[in-house]
Amino acid sequence: MSLRRWFGFGALLIVLLCLPLVVHSDYVLNVADIAGIYAIAVLGLGILLGFAGQLSLAQAAFFGIGAYASGYLTVHWGWPVLPSMAVATVFSGLIGLCLGWPCLRLSGHYLALATIGFGIITQLVLINWTSVTNGSDGMTGIPAPQIGPLTLSTYGQYYYLVLASLAVCTYVAWRIKSTRPGRALQAIRENELAASATGIDPTHYKIVAFVLAGAYAGLAGALLAHSIKFLSPDSYSFDQSVIFLVMLIVGGSGSIGGAILGAVLLTFLPEVLRPLKSSYIMVYGAAVIAMVIFMPRGLAGLFDAATHPRRRRETQPLATPSHPVEAKSA
Amino acid sequence: MSFDPVANLQLLVSGLAIGSIYALVALGFVLIYNAVGVVNFAQGDFVMFPSYVAISFLLPSIAVFGTIVHWQLPLLLVYAVVLVLMIGFGLLFTRVAYYPLRDRGWMPVVIATIGVSIFLRNLAQLVWGSQPQVMPSPFPVQTIALGPLQVRPQDLLIIGVTALLIVFQYFLFERTMLGKQMRATAQDRDAARLIGIRVGRIVTITFVYSVLLGTISGLLVAPIFTVTKEMGALIALKAFAASIVGGFGSIPGAIIGGLAIGVIETFGGFYISPAYVDAIAFVILIVVLVVRPQGLFGERVGEKA
Amino acid sequence: MNAANERAARETGFLQVRGLLKRFGGITAVNGLDMTVRGGDIHGLIGPNGSGKTTTLNIISGLYRADGGSISFDGSELVRRPAHAIAQLGVGRTFQNIRLFAGLSVLENVMIGRHVRTHVGFVQALFPAGATAREERETRAYARDLLRFVGLEHVAGSVARSLPYGDQRRVEIARALASEPRLLLLDEPAAGMNPTETDTLVELLRRIRDRGTTLLLIEHDMNLVMTVCERITVLNFGQHIAEGTAAEVARNPDVITAYLGGAIDAA
Repeated sequence: MSLRRWFGFGALLIVLLCLPLVVHSDYVLNVADIAGIYAIAVLGLGILLGFAGQLSLAQAAFFGIGAYASGYLTVHWGWPVLPSMAVATVFSGLIGLCLGWPCLRLSGHYLALATIGFGIITQLVLINWTSVTNGSDGMTGIPAPQIGPLTLSTYGQYYYLVLASLAVCTYVAWRIKSTRPGRALQAIRENELAASATGIDPTHYKIVAFVLAGAYAGLAGALLAHSIKFLSPDSYSFDQSVIFLVMLIVGGSGSIGGAILGAVLLTFLPEVLRPLKSSYIMVYGAAVIAMVIFMPRGLAGLFDAATHPRRRRETQPLATPSHPVEAKSA
Repeated sequence: MSFDPVANLQLLVSGLAIGSIYALVALGFVLIYNAVGVVNFAQGDFVMFPSYVAISFLLPSIAVFGTIVHWQLPLLLVYAVVLVLMIGFGLLFTRVAYYPLRDRGWMPVVIATIGVSIFLRNLAQLVWGSQPQVMPSPFPVQTIALGPLQVRPQDLLIIGVTALLIVFQYFLFERTMLGKQMRATAQDRDAARLIGIRVGRIVTITFVYSVLLGTISGLLVAPIFTVTKEMGALIALKAFAASIVGGFGSIPGAIIGGLAIGVIETFGGFYISPAYVDAIAFVILIVVLVVRPQGLFGERVGEKA
Repeated sequence: MNAANERAARETGFLQVRGLLKRFGGITAVNGLDMTVRGGDIHGLIGPNGSGKTTTLNIISGLYRADGGSISFDGSELVRRPAHAIAQLGVGRTFQNIRLFAGLSVLENVMIGRHVRTHVGFVQALFPAGATAREERETRAYARDLLRFVGLEHVAGSVARSLPYGDQRRVEIARALASEPRLLLLDEPAAGMNPTETDTLVELLRRIRDRGTTLLLIEHDMNLVMTVCERITVLNFGQHIAEGTAAEVARNPDVITAYLGGAIDAA
């Protein structure tokens, strides 16, 4: 990476670190926390869909699994928060494995639908397994995290936890993308048959991608749980998975910066448009269509084109697979 | 639990009714998929939106954009108006969500249909608010007696209309030139173009027809559901599951898959668990995807290297 | 004879296909095929359309599962192994309809080809220094060398789908070579090429063979086949009807009949 890029990152980092010191509005910090949390979930989807090309619409399910897992451990078993979050993350990752395994032979619409089905079943479990989740009444009394003597009770303090988590998640995604496993994932996305002929084992890589997506979303869910301290199963619906997908597409599927940008933008945008009340979501829907038509590589693609005008490409790589759907038999 | 034939037959009728709805919506999916290789994520909202439009003209009064209006019109006129309106909407949809993206592969179109879905749902909320509405039944009675059974007349209407539509579609596809052109386009668009079929027009007709299937489903199902902006979503997802169970791309598969899921779901909801009723369709789906992804009637597709 | 060919002369059953069987529904595409490829050869696989050539290649490389028979590759049984495992054993291939990683750069395509010769996994990737960085550098350098070898170094940064057809074929070959395969399967590598491009290809194939790789290629261009292949197997209806040198095969009456009476000229 060039010196100019490092400088840019450095500046961004300083701005991010100083944000709570400069902004004192609880409301803005709350939105910032949520934006960072969503960014983690979208980044996970970025690994699974953006890198590996597996269209999963179950990200909200893992978001919920992580949230409830961490909530349960802290509320019912009295665990401390940070270890709870860690366990919830791992647990979500393992559930990701359970989803990934039956989905291995599926692609395109079949895969999307299997993940949708999984998401719906998960939400139904969250609603009906009242002994664990307290169902539609919601889980309350979720504690705030404690680091040593300090309790992260304000949005400003929580912000640093979210930022640190996002930094780690971004680092992992970046390392994957820059090395052999990242290329293997992208090869699977571009042409799975050719990838296997090149010696890439699609099973291994797809499973890891599902696990990572589940873990990322689980971590995000756990972070949200201990921030808002209340959980309701209604939030973990197919619609939420769609929102994550839209954030990824708008930001630029396949791009790490894009995933984060999409999440942040689409978290702040509804807040900015809030005065418009319900019509803003219609704008949202129309904007998605316009985006896909006019900016297929998302905002990251725009940014890329602007900063690298002389890069020799006749067409930009599309991070969405465009091969037709097939039903795979063994 | 003793086997009560009357209760079970009543469940069967209910199951076939909701299964017919799934079948009609699934047909809509399959037709669009066969024609253009894309799944339409807005199909459910083509069930929801016309229902709202219809009830605006069927109820004596309703809140539209916050103000109460009295637009009550005779039933058949309303149905006709809604159908015409949705034809127009189908044309618009094809032009906006499909046409600009038709060369870009399937995912952009899928996302565009998701965008249309979000748009429609929130348009509905904007216009009619979030209060659930009830569409008045076209029948004066709640149940009628069919031999020893007490069934809802609406269920019988649904089954009847669906059967008629299936017969109609059979004749359309097998006996008319238009239908044959639609089938040809679905099988191989380039070949169809080469023999002089106006593919763009056929694709548009296919889309509009699918929208109409959704509309009819909405008008049929609304009296037994509550009308909310979410009503289409779950129906569509289950219909999608049904079409995969039946074999994606297969028309008889969509119909049989829809009916099967409707019946299994109804029995399952009664005998196993009313809370998890919605999960049944998806459990069946996941099992089918793992065990036999081509469904009942789908073709085993192997890749040509 | 160079060292590779000398070694090959000692290894006769380098790739040994016996009784291979493949059915698709009612059609038997490969019907008890026997074929022997010697190490160090450029071996041609020809036959009329529909004779089962690509299917055979697909079975050897693991994309299709055989319904019967065996394929022995330098001692290892290939039937019932998944494609990626076969690639790991040292079998590389190109495809009839080019299957590049279209959205990735040419260089990335070839780097991915190096997958079986490299090791960094998800965990190791997290540590940027040391072995990971070294492997990245080496992979990149090796890929560049290969692009130079096929004459495409100048487009290393371009997106694969933006290249003209002939260049895409060469990228595919470079990608296959990146795994240092001992056996390279080529499915109609000269398809769509003009005579000049074909000559370049012939030269490339010879250079690849001289570096120690055995080649098995499907081709319809008879001139190319007769020029470059040491041995040829002729297929019809999923079985071999002749196997031998170019001259032997050209004289074989069954072969001539299979091609509908046309005489095949040796180059």
